[in-house]
Amino acid sequence: MKLLTRTTYYFLLYSMIAMIAAGFVFYYSIRSLVYNQIDDSLITEKTIIQDQLEETDTIPDFAASFGHLIEVKLLGKPVSYSQTIKDTVLYDSKSQVYLPFRHISVSGSTHRHTSYSINIYQILDENQELLDRIGIGMFLLFLTLLLLSLLVNYLISKNIFKPFFRAVNEAAAFNVLSDRRVELTDTNIDEFRQLNMVIDQMTRKMRSDYINLKEYNENFSHEIQTPIAVIRSKLDVMMQNENLDREAINAITSINEATSRLLKLNQGLLFISRIENLQFEDTIELSLKNRIEKCIDNYEEILKLKEISIELDISDPGIVRMNEILADVLISNLISNAVRYNIDGGFIKCLLDNRNITIINSGYPLDINPELLFDRFRKNAGNTQSVGLGLSIVKKITDHFGMKISYTCSGSTHEIKIQYRP
Amino acid sequence: MKLLVVEDEKSLSRSICEYLRMEGYICEEAYTLKEAVRKIADNHYNCIILDIGLPDGSGLELIRLMKESKSTDRIIILSARDSLDDKLTGLNIGADDYLTKPFHMAELSARINSICRRSDFEGLNELNFNEITIKTGENEAFVKNELLNLTRKEYDLLLFFMANANRIITKESIVEHLWGDNVILTDSFDFVYTHVKNLRKKLMAKNCRNYIKVIYGFGYKFCDS
Repeated sequence: MKLLTRTTYYFLLYSMIAMIAAGFVFYYSIRSLVYNQIDDSLITEKTIIQDQLEETDTIPDFAASFGHLIEVKLLGKPVSYSQTIKDTVLYDSKSQVYLPFRHISVSGSTHRHTSYSINIYQILDENQELLDRIGIGMFLLFLTLLLLSLLVNYLISKNIFKPFFRAVNEAAAFNVLSDRRVELTDTNIDEFRQLNMVIDQMTRKMRSDYINLKEYNENFSHEIQTPIAVIRSKLDVMMQNENLDREAINAITSINEATSRLLKLNQGLLFISRIENLQFEDTIELSLKNRIEKCIDNYEEILKLKEISIELDISDPGIVRMNEILADVLISNLISNAVRYNIDGGFIKCLLDNRNITIINSGYPLDINPELLFDRFRKNAGNTQSVGLGLSIVKKITDHFGMKISYTCSGSTHEIKIQYRP
Repeated sequence: MKLLVVEDEKSLSRSICEYLRMEGYICEEAYTLKEAVRKIADNHYNCIILDIGLPDGSGLELIRLMKESKSTDRIIILSARDSLDDKLTGLNIGADDYLTKPFHMAELSARINSICRRSDFEGLNELNFNEITIKTGENEAFVKNELLNLTRKEYDLLLFFMANANRIITKESIVEHLWGDNVILTDSFDFVYTHVKNLRKKLMAKNCRNYIKVIYGFGYKFCDS
């Protein structure tokens, strides 16, 4: 729910409560006003009739002309004076309903000891009308308020909240990889100005931290190559010594393996950071079909030796605009994975149509969710040989060209699908 | 065969030389561009192993200088892995080959071997080891003049072995040699094992002795003993 919707909601809720309360107050105060008036007119009429009675001791004949229901009776026996005003209902035989009336009832005697009773009824039909009027009035007021608040809402969100929405959009669009700065609208509203300031500082900090970190990584990866080259060359020389004992051989082998591992890690990471640094930006139109065939050619003999059957189902040349090196690395990583993690006598199916590359191969069941293998350094349990960067490089490349990739594994069948065309 | 190693990392330079001397090359060192320029002016080298990143300038300048003076010395560039441009520029302006650092000595040795073969035995292009002959021009291998029926990888492997005869070469360097460094992931030694096994089988079928020795812990050695 939007902030403005919520505030409006509460505003309307409370104003409705206030209006209902106000309606009640209005109703009762106006009603008492009306009653006072009715009572006054009833008392006036009564007084006129009383005066008449005092003078003549007969029932005045004009009594009906007040437009009220008037009942004057002369009583045989003396009564003490009493006067009551109250609400009552009378049955109307014409419309066959009970109607509300205000009723004054007086009994007393004149100075000549003539007892009388006076009943005057005033119909209270105005009462209902009053209630209706107030109700309608309140409703109209509420409606006006609703429309007004919607209008105000619209204007506020259009104008006052503009910098806020701008800031939110900019913050959402912020990408630490790109050096596009967030552009915020100037505002004279303190809260928004503060927000802008915070977003600006935060994004700048993130960007500079990221650049520092990236530079550190690059420098590190780059600089570490020379020492590795030295170690490797020394090992190559040492190995040629014919007088090495078993212990020395084992040590050299271990060092050699560790160095290779270090080197592969470093090369993998360097490669990823080069993709991130957009160092593979020159693209050409190339045929995935050709690349796949060339790559499979490279493994032809190994496939034969491992007795892996390979099936190519290529229904499209797979023309795509990509960087050549990245395309080769992508294809060769996929195929070499399919070969390496295959079983003797297994199969590889490679499908290429006008949208997807799909590589299906036999292998070993996975212990983890296959999609996790796209993470850096993620490996299936028991795989100690791999450094765990191959698939994350693949993912990096597909991300770089906006391609979708999925990895599914059912039992011992693995399937990697890349949608290279949207 | 006289080589010049131009490399500012002394430790690396020294072990390159040490290794190449074992191969029977005469090896000199230069640690700076200036030193290299002076040495090249005074001597003829069969092959120059040139690092691009030198403290007093780029190795590419040296190539330009050499081409200007019509030097026929062969050049192998050593470049850092992420400077693809250097590699391409270097080849364009006249370098003969390139190698990315870090590399295996066996690989460097095979490259030097290949370059020197091209330059010094023009038209011959032959590599011999006892009864085995490789004609690199035709990509064919013979045992006592009988053609060996090898797959492409087996041929490459035999060539690599023979270029590094009597040296221990690691399985890793074989993997990198056969599948290139583009295949970041191919470090499976099973592949090497099977290729070596098949190659050995084919050689022995032609009555060769078993030249491919397994060296415990390290890899292989192609030798006659």
